[in-house]
Amino acid sequence: MNWKPHPLFIIGLAMTSAPIIAQAKIYVSVEQAQKILLPNKSLAKNPMIITEDLQDKMRSASSIRHPFQGDQIWRAADGSWFIVDEVVGKHEMITYAVALNPSGAVTGIEILEYVESYGYEVAEANWRKQFVGKTAVDPIKLNQDIQNIGGATLSCKHLTDGVKRVAVLYEIALKNQTLSLKAK
Amino acid sequence: MIRCKPLLGTFVEIRIEDQSPPLKALDEAFLAVEQVQFLMCFHNPNSELSQINARSYLEPVRIHPWTAEVLRIAKEIYLQSQGVFNCGVGHHLVEAGLLPKHGKLNNYSFGGIEDLQLIEHFLVRSSLPLCLDLGGIAKGYAVDKAVEALLANGVQAGSVNAGGDIRIFGGRSQAIQIRNPSKPHELIQIGSMSAGAIATSSLYFANRSSGSKSFMVNPLNQGHIEFSESYSVVATRCVYADALTKVVSISRNTRHPCLSHFSAQAIRIPNTQSP
Repeated sequence: MNWKPHPLFIIGLAMTSAPIIAQAKIYVSVEQAQKILLPNKSLAKNPMIITEDLQDKMRSASSIRHPFQGDQIWRAADGSWFIVDEVVGKHEMITYAVALNPSGAVTGIEILEYVESYGYEVAEANWRKQFVGKTAVDPIKLNQDIQNIGGATLSCKHLTDGVKRVAVLYEIALKNQTLSLKAK
Repeated sequence: MIRCKPLLGTFVEIRIEDQSPPLKALDEAFLAVEQVQFLMCFHNPNSELSQINARSYLEPVRIHPWTAEVLRIAKEIYLQSQGVFNCGVGHHLVEAGLLPKHGKLNNYSFGGIEDLQLIEHFLVRSSLPLCLDLGGIAKGYAVDKAVEALLANGVQAGSVNAGGDIRIFGGRSQAIQIRNPSKPHELIQIGSMSAGAIATSSLYFANRSSGSKSFMVNPLNQGHIEFSESYSVVATRCVYADALTKVVSISRNTRHPCLSHFSAQAIRIPNTQSP
């Protein structure tokens, strides 16, 4: 074990110095997540318009109010799906990818970005814009190094709710596409 | 390379510092965490933990070596902490609605980890009905297994962070920041580590409505405990760090005698906003 306590913390000063705010963590890009979750499969982008009706059903299945964007959906030749979604909580915004096999079962989930801050900042559209389009190779203004943050355990319940709405998306909208492709 | 997945009810980050690590190293490290979740999850009625809870009072139950190792360590920490650490509190969490109910709880008088015997290396049976919850130790164990998977794949340096329980290996000194219990979105740099583990206990993310009970139970008086500060424990392995945070936060003693037995040390961060 090799552990060095911070000298200012020992004498109680680390508490009074300027706070470090937990901000944004970028893990992998969309392309990297595709290779991780659906290796060796070529994916075709398959954006969809999400109708009001579908949006309502996804909302009631997941309790996530933030609307689902249908522009980040990909399909593999074998009928697998790769979907990027975002969940916005009171204190966090998480972009994640989920892979579904042709029968709609979740085969993997990967976090792309985790942005944490105070609730009002996350809710603010302008504040969120600064992260749009950022990738792992573009760490401008974001932490160069992902911090080692210790503390009480954060729940991933919100993300689990997000995956529930993707399951509804499959049942209502994607399943039919898989079937109609097979029919051809 | 760093990746993050939702596992163990939280977010698990695995990082490799090496320039060109073997591709399967990260996958295998995440698989190790998934395996621990599969074996020791209270929520899953088919996990080995649920099987032990359902059947070990009635018949011997054969278990995976990893489950057996966690139970052995849990018994060791129970003994060394004189009962301050005891996984046999699951029924209190079920009653409080914090864990799911599998079948009836009946009016059993439940035993604790001390009533579970490892009659062979991988075979357990209990002298009393049990409702074990490994929530206070399995996350740390999963972090250690992920690190072992990275090492087995030849990874030189890296770290694993499961929702705040961290292990670092490979020699490069890394700053460790802990959430401020008064303002959990602010971080306090408490030190740096190049090899070892740190875990933290606190109740600030419990998101409770007033009146609901805390998820920490004192096994000695079976009461749900409340505290607003946070307790971190630094140890060689994350399984010890994770379990010992419960000893320290339940006893509220950062110099608890069992820390030195495990070559561990504890750090208390006060909540400056609490009265």
